[in-house]
Amino acid sequence: MAKEFEHSYAFFLGCIAPNRYPGCEAASIRTSAKLGIELVPLNGASCCPAPGAFGSIDLNVWYAMAARNLVLAEQMKKDITLICNGCYKSIWEVNHKLKHNDELRDGVNEVLAEIDMEFKGSIDVWHLAELLYDEKICGVKKVADSVTRPLSGTKIAVHYGCHLMKPQKERHFGDSENPMWLEELVEALGAEPVLYRNRMQCCGAGGGVRGYDILHSLDITNEKMINLREVGADALTEVCPFCQLQFDRGQIEIQENFGQVYNLPVLHYNELLGLAQGMTPAELALDLHAIDCSPFVEKIGKEE
Amino acid sequence: MAVEKNYGNSELEKKLEDRYYYTSDSNKDFSEKVRDISGTASHMCFQCGTCTGSCPSAPRSSYRIRVFMRRAVLGLEDEALTDPDLWLCTTCYSCTDRCPRDLAPTDVIMAMRNLAFKRDIVPRNFLKTAQLIYTTGHGVPNNDVNRAARVKLGLTADPPTTHMYPEYIEGIQKIMDYYKLKENADRILSEGGN
Amino acid sequence: MAENQEPRIGVFICHCGTNIAGSLDVQAVKEYAESLPNVVIADEYQYMCSTPGQTKIIEAATEHNLTGVVVAACSPRLHEPTFRVATSEGGLNKFRFEMANIREHNSWVHMHDWDLATAKAKDQVRIAVAKARLLEDLEPKEVEVEHAAMVVGAGVGGIQAALDLANAGITTYLVEQTPTIGGRMSQLDKTFPTLDCSQCILTPKMVDAGRHPNIILRTYHEVDNVEGYIGNFEITLRKKARGTRTEAEMKEAGLEGSGCNGCGDCAEVCPVIKPNEFEFGMAPRKAIYIYHAQVMPLQYTIDYESCVKCGLCIEACGKEKNAIDLEMVDTFEKVKVGCCILATGYDLIPIEEKAEWGYRRHENVITGLEFERLICASGPTGGHMIRPSDGATPMKVGFVLCAGSRDNTGGVGKPYCSRFCCMYSLKHAHQLMEKIPGCQPYIFYMDIRSFGKAYEEFYYRIQSEGCKFIRGRVANIEEDPITKNLLVRTEDTLLGRPVNVECDMVVLAAAIQPKPDAEPLRQMFGISKSQDGWYLEAHPKLNPCGTTTAGIFLAGVCQGPKDIPDTVAQAEGAASAASIPIHQGKVQLEPYFAQCIEELCAGCGMCVNQCPYSALSLVEKDGRQVMQVTEAKCKGCGTCGGFCPGGAIRMQHFTTPQICAQIDAFLLGGLGGEE
Repeated sequence: MAKEFEHSYAFFLGCIAPNRYPGCEAASIRTSAKLGIELVPLNGASCCPAPGAFGSIDLNVWYAMAARNLVLAEQMKKDITLICNGCYKSIWEVNHKLKHNDELRDGVNEVLAEIDMEFKGSIDVWHLAELLYDEKICGVKKVADSVTRPLSGTKIAVHYGCHLMKPQKERHFGDSENPMWLEELVEALGAEPVLYRNRMQCCGAGGGVRGYDILHSLDITNEKMINLREVGADALTEVCPFCQLQFDRGQIEIQENFGQVYNLPVLHYNELLGLAQGMTPAELALDLHAIDCSPFVEKIGKEE
Repeated sequence: MAVEKNYGNSELEKKLEDRYYYTSDSNKDFSEKVRDISGTASHMCFQCGTCTGSCPSAPRSSYRIRVFMRRAVLGLEDEALTDPDLWLCTTCYSCTDRCPRDLAPTDVIMAMRNLAFKRDIVPRNFLKTAQLIYTTGHGVPNNDVNRAARVKLGLTADPPTTHMYPEYIEGIQKIMDYYKLKENADRILSEGGN
Repeated sequence: MAENQEPRIGVFICHCGTNIAGSLDVQAVKEYAESLPNVVIADEYQYMCSTPGQTKIIEAATEHNLTGVVVAACSPRLHEPTFRVATSEGGLNKFRFEMANIREHNSWVHMHDWDLATAKAKDQVRIAVAKARLLEDLEPKEVEVEHAAMVVGAGVGGIQAALDLANAGITTYLVEQTPTIGGRMSQLDKTFPTLDCSQCILTPKMVDAGRHPNIILRTYHEVDNVEGYIGNFEITLRKKARGTRTEAEMKEAGLEGSGCNGCGDCAEVCPVIKPNEFEFGMAPRKAIYIYHAQVMPLQYTIDYESCVKCGLCIEACGKEKNAIDLEMVDTFEKVKVGCCILATGYDLIPIEEKAEWGYRRHENVITGLEFERLICASGPTGGHMIRPSDGATPMKVGFVLCAGSRDNTGGVGKPYCSRFCCMYSLKHAHQLMEKIPGCQPYIFYMDIRSFGKAYEEFYYRIQSEGCKFIRGRVANIEEDPITKNLLVRTEDTLLGRPVNVECDMVVLAAAIQPKPDAEPLRQMFGISKSQDGWYLEAHPKLNPCGTTTAGIFLAGVCQGPKDIPDTVAQAEGAASAASIPIHQGKVQLEPYFAQCIEELCAGCGMCVNQCPYSALSLVEKDGRQVMQVTEAKCKGCGTCGGFCPGGAIRMQHFTTPQICAQIDAFLLGGLGGEE
């Protein structure tokens, strides 16, 4: 209803979350609301567009399409928040580049003029995970305080993904070699974060490789799966639905092609946060996950 | 200029073809285009190997980002753009993160891919993704199973994107048409082949 | 030359080969010069700095009765002294010379603009002539040079410089901030390429420095303040509270007891244990300590920050020696020296900030200096190479070259090459193969820079001994959580394959950088640093030991990365250069002094505070206050001259009429045009 929210953002959805893992979308909206963050629909948004497949074809179109999405938010006079590393690259990076490069911006605005739009550079873009971590907006403590069903007794590994923090010099998240801030957010949910070998490696899906040579991409994923199994993680969490797809559906594909079975549930951080805030698996549409999440859900609260 | 071997036997000529690098093999224009599109000083690469050392694709294929950087420096356009390994980069940006000369090899790959596309060299399913974006606004569009799931969750059947507001698709199409993307994608796909 | 006669100026234009003549019309400039009022002769020549060129000036000065000489050529920083000599040989006061820089300020920056460059050169000549008309006879001021020198930093560079100065009969203060001399060389085990024991070859020099009659050793001292100028530096040294006294200091203080003899009884009973900085924290020391057995001077030091003032050391020391004073405080000493040599050495960069290599996160990743201490027989492990996590003997050791050097990413990375890391890594590989049979070193490199005498041969030797070389810069290092082994990832670029080499231990050849105190020190001495952060030499080719500040010289790595041979060579060069003014006993200062025009001076004293060199003061003269300049301190900066509201200050050689004449000549003369 007319609840007063301290912070309000236009919610950029992307493709995979709304169209394959809608539980992520639902979880993001509800868990954010509980933390005083309002996520408002960004009507008419499109694919970010996919930085890998689309950017490989023509970067100019990539800039223009991303700029169109940004202008929609500028028209709403709201900063954007999103839940996908791939979308982050398209939306945040294009926003940043257009703000600082006049030539680029003028070129893009020439195209946007055809559809009566103009990029002004008036908004900022945030990944929802960074908003949750940022004490000015939410903070680890506030996240922990919102937990009604601690994920205690579970070991959760984190996959950071690539486009959020890299390249370090063009981002503001600090060290990309050994970050710990997502582990802090996992700990806030009552779970035990576990590290694993080569944890910062790519999932393998990006750059269009999942489409171009899926077995190649799965071999990269499989390397991570082996390392995850070594530390006995109960679940893997990430902040990118594309990584989620690669790890989740990817495990089925790995089983089919490489004969390896892991049965490791893969959940987006917002889904985990949803569980910890008392949302049910049904409310998170966990049944849409390729890998059954129930072993993980059942383990919650059963300390060993 | 490569020495022509007129042995009257094409197999023999192939086996014994002149492998020397001659400066005439270098296309300066290509090097400059790569530098411009990528926005990185690709000519400053000193082949330290940090990039390939960081690459997740290198240990499982013949893909070597360092070699692509060398091709950018030496202007070896054909070698670079026709190499199928060009498409094995996952754009993880680890190489860019660690390059001691402050270069962005990932962006060099993206620039080369853009140039390859201009030669009609591109994975077919990239074009299919582009077509989907053209028609629906989404690279991964909604489907009925998902719609039902969304409704169960209390969300709208279609997200409030171009799915729920198809009037925005026209704008997207105008942008893509401005760059003749759809036209080229359709053409390449209809021509068949890889 | 009579002062009040009509100016007669000679103008000489230099071709400088094609440096000037290739970019502008020297002939036209000469003809233009001839047309200027008061110019009685204009000439041009290929190389004015050559003997025939000089002769032209000398002959013209006499022949044409010149009152001033203008040379249009290169920068005065290069040849002003040369042409001044020629001017004086021609019978003129040497300050009746003005230079127009038509090379650095013209031909070298306008190489493709013949007409405009020529026009600009004409302007420059006209401006120079305008000043030359008003030049005066000036006498350089001679000042005495104190027969003493100071060397700041007592590593091998500082020690060598001090020994050379002392052997030349010059009293030399050797100032060192740590409790002992020796520096980095004391920390090394062996030196390349001879594989001499480092401390063994250094000790004789340390002992010499310690007992040389002309060396005044000031260890555990810091430079607190620097005043003065060449020949007359007044330096305040801070004598840090050491907590112990030598025999001489006991007498000086009027205390009973024979003072500290380095016996170590105090350290045995001290309850406080701290990491020993000399051993990079890999071995302990007490709060009262010496760094190692061969320190010079052999005197214990108290780390007051850690001392708990229990007094057990005093008991152990006993009444006979009575060397310890827990209440000691810093004191200050003012010394006067003629010249100074800075030899402050280096630190490693904080390599933990290059997170991809895991220093400080992975136990078995160490730096090259830590390796030296571990392999050194007098080090924390008695020379047994062990790996930190479990003390095991490493059998596969990776060496990461260019760790933070040749790095343009900003942050802690340095764009320069640190010069000696290739060589010490080769040395380390050799030491491992020698001491640990079957140990396999891997050197991960971009290049092997074995540039010096016998260095390439050393590389050959190490490869022949079985060291493996992988040409690839290390991308990242991961730790195996169970074995604590290290997985070194890079590409063997020569093979074209990514490699993942499991090592027991990894040594990072970390980049070097100036010590943190080097910055405030150089501010005190008034010298510059280069873009890369090291102290700036006067000229990289022709004057690598000097600085642009007269009387201050540089030795060793503080001027830029270098190995021991180059450090010692530079130290000897610096000592030689520093000894020249000291042995001459006097030095000439350029007479660009401020002068007080007493009739106009109101005695307001505002200029006194303006002077950055404290060269001005108010004095009583004929019943009123007027300003007085201490010429020796005045650098002619012009601050007071420009400031004086009454126009009562005259800057010699840069007088207001001279400057105004130059401005008028420029503005009113047009673009190389009419007068």
